[in-house]
Amino acid sequence: MAQPFALGPTARLFDNDWIGPCIVSLIAILAISWFQPAFLSSFNIFVLSSAIAVNMVIALGQLVIIGIGQMNLALGSIGGLVAISFVGVMEKFGIPVPIALAFALGIGVLMGMASGYIIARTMISAFIITLAGLQIFKGINLGITQAQPFYGVPDGVKAFGQASVLGPLPWLLVPMLLASAGVWYMFNRLRIGRHILALGANPHAAELSGIDPKVTIIWAHAVSGLLAATAGVMLVAKLQIGQPTIGDDWLITSFAAPVIGGAVLSGGRVSVGGTFFGVVIIAVITQALVIFNIDPFAVQIVLGALILWAVGINRLREVRIAKLQSMGAKT
Amino acid sequence: MSALEVKGVSKSFPGVKALNGVSMTMQAGSIHALLGENGAGKSTLIKIVTGIYQPDAGEVRMNGSPVRFANLRQSAAGGLGVVHQERNLVTRFSVGENILLDRLGKSALSRVDYPAIWREADKWLKLLELDVDPQTPVTRLSVAQMQLVEIGKALSQQSRVLLMDEPTASLTPNETQVLFRILRKLRDDGVAIGFVSHKLEEVFAICDRVTVLRDGQNACDSADMKGMVRGDVVQMMIGRAERITARAPRPMPSAPPLLELKAYASNLGHRDIDLTIRPGEILGLYGLVGAGRSELAKAILGLARQTGGEVRVAGRPVQITSVAEALHTHGIGYVSEDRKAEGLILMHSVLNNSGITIWTRLAGKLGFLRDRRVEAEVSPVLQRLELKTPSLQQTIDNLSGGNQQKVSCAKWIAAGVKLLIIDEPTVGIDIKTKAYMHDLIHELAAGGTAVLLITSDMPEMIDVADRIAVMDGYRIHGLVENDRNYDRMSKAIMGFIHGREAA
Repeated sequence: MAQPFALGPTARLFDNDWIGPCIVSLIAILAISWFQPAFLSSFNIFVLSSAIAVNMVIALGQLVIIGIGQMNLALGSIGGLVAISFVGVMEKFGIPVPIALAFALGIGVLMGMASGYIIARTMISAFIITLAGLQIFKGINLGITQAQPFYGVPDGVKAFGQASVLGPLPWLLVPMLLASAGVWYMFNRLRIGRHILALGANPHAAELSGIDPKVTIIWAHAVSGLLAATAGVMLVAKLQIGQPTIGDDWLITSFAAPVIGGAVLSGGRVSVGGTFFGVVIIAVITQALVIFNIDPFAVQIVLGALILWAVGINRLREVRIAKLQSMGAKT
Repeated sequence: MSALEVKGVSKSFPGVKALNGVSMTMQAGSIHALLGENGAGKSTLIKIVTGIYQPDAGEVRMNGSPVRFANLRQSAAGGLGVVHQERNLVTRFSVGENILLDRLGKSALSRVDYPAIWREADKWLKLLELDVDPQTPVTRLSVAQMQLVEIGKALSQQSRVLLMDEPTASLTPNETQVLFRILRKLRDDGVAIGFVSHKLEEVFAICDRVTVLRDGQNACDSADMKGMVRGDVVQMMIGRAERITARAPRPMPSAPPLLELKAYASNLGHRDIDLTIRPGEILGLYGLVGAGRSELAKAILGLARQTGGEVRVAGRPVQITSVAEALHTHGIGYVSEDRKAEGLILMHSVLNNSGITIWTRLAGKLGFLRDRRVEAEVSPVLQRLELKTPSLQQTIDNLSGGNQQKVSCAKWIAAGVKLLIIDEPTVGIDIKTKAYMHDLIHELAAGGTAVLLITSDMPEMIDVADRIAVMDGYRIHGLVENDRNYDRMSKAIMGFIHGREAA
């Protein structure tokens, strides 16, 4: 019987999902700072890192669902409802920050679980269920706020969103790092993470192996809800205000970053590192276009082009790996 | 006490009595064949034993006590391992993790103890004589190795009963031998093995008991295979003796070649391919899995790039760049080996599937298409193929494998192709339908259609083909005129393949 073939060291390096986006983000940063040294000023690094921190947590929220082979269109509306609830209970009922935080994260988890439960129970596509969820959560949000922001953000929370933890690096990076480490650990070391990936990669095999798809789907959406809630709270801290519009613009980034980071939308293949560099690329390019005074509409076009580029690269790599494998199988 | 006992099990579906009082007794330390034509009730029986279906009547016992599993997870926990026909591995995961996928931790948030998993998996890999590191991703394994990993997975669940559904369908003869050696070892260790296969040679090589189902009933119940011959089993399966190959070699058609390949090369890796097919001729293309046969078929259809040599259709040099061109301009059709993924649209009706190739021709001036016109064209073809379907509106998904295969041929016959490439026409198809398929191919050829037949089934090849080209490593290694003498032909064919290995 043929021995399994082995990838060479170079091929193995490029088999990593994060290496491509990492190189691209480094090149982009170097190129921009060459033309505009102010790009690397402390202030700019602070602004850039804050944006990256929030967007990374948003992207992780989607990444968990992409891992299982689904989509979560309700991600932003969960984050938005959590954000206004967080500030709302503090402003209206004077609830202390830690309890409000636990409450806010809790309802994020509950909203995620609700979507997950309905998807698992009915086996209707997550696209439709979370589309409905998006409308419902957003409707509740607008019903509560009447489209007016809550201003009662305590000073401690405001400080958290504006203070730096080390030199030009904002405190917001801390929850981002915790969330990234947590999601990485879940996907690589925890039973639930392995089950999510197995179910995403081959639902039939996963089920025949004794994995309970319903439980796994509910877990994934609960984790996604928790991450959306975390991002919502982070945005409250960053914006210093409980804006009802929080979450409205998450959708594109939440898909673009994981895809640039090598995730396969059909499930089973995700990369936390790749997603991070996906977020960095998006943030850097968005900023660059501002620095160079380019029309904001162009940002959207560039983002769209980036997604196409990323999907193309993923495809090329798959073809290359498949070729290597068929060669390995023949020898 | 029997390891697994099925007693008088019945199961009805709307309009069909799938099983009617079926019994089977599997003993520890025995390999038990479960045979029957498609639709005889084998799959239903396996699904009842493993808890996917619940029986209407009768009972299942394991080690003497009655069991009733609600689903696959329960039956696996109860010591019943199943190796399904299709591969059920998570290919990006490691071998070890696949084997122990359902035992990665006690609760959802348990940490996966990888060293323990590698150790445990290694035990099973050793038992199966599979020399693979448990940390290897499944993507890097060969099909046969994946098959063994699945067996390891089933065994690791402490299964003392192992059911295998067509385990050799995608294995080469050599790999099959390795698998059989391991099955014998497991048998000697006291595992009760159930073996479903359409290849009777294999059943006779390895099984000691046999249960045959026909039309949902026992044609025989756990009979001893000692003293049985192939004819006995076939008799039980189809209720009549198998047709023996009695076709005389047909006169070589003398018409000018329909398709010629000269020193053809493709970007898939084909080199120096020389082939000629005349109208009315059946050219067999034999080779082991991975020899590049299906790939050649796809290259001819324009799904790969030609990188050298010449392709001539009816004498004129051509470059085929798309399947649409192959069909509409040159009259070349392809019956895929993977009918579910490539040959048929499972959610659509019989009518839409068999008419899909002639829509362009039948569409009216404004592109309108009337069902009645399509029906008029395809009905005679479907009747000739003895297609069994309640109506032409029936969804293909609900037909048996054999009937699905008939539809996938019918659409090309309806299109009136001049060259039909038929890829593994009888994989997973019962003996009766197989014989019909063979007759059909001959009829097509007699009607002047050129047929390129791809099959790994040696008896089928020698039964059906006029000439046999032997392919290995994306090259043609030899061409033999078929005189339908099995021993001589199979020796000649294997000679071409092994000749290369020795060189």
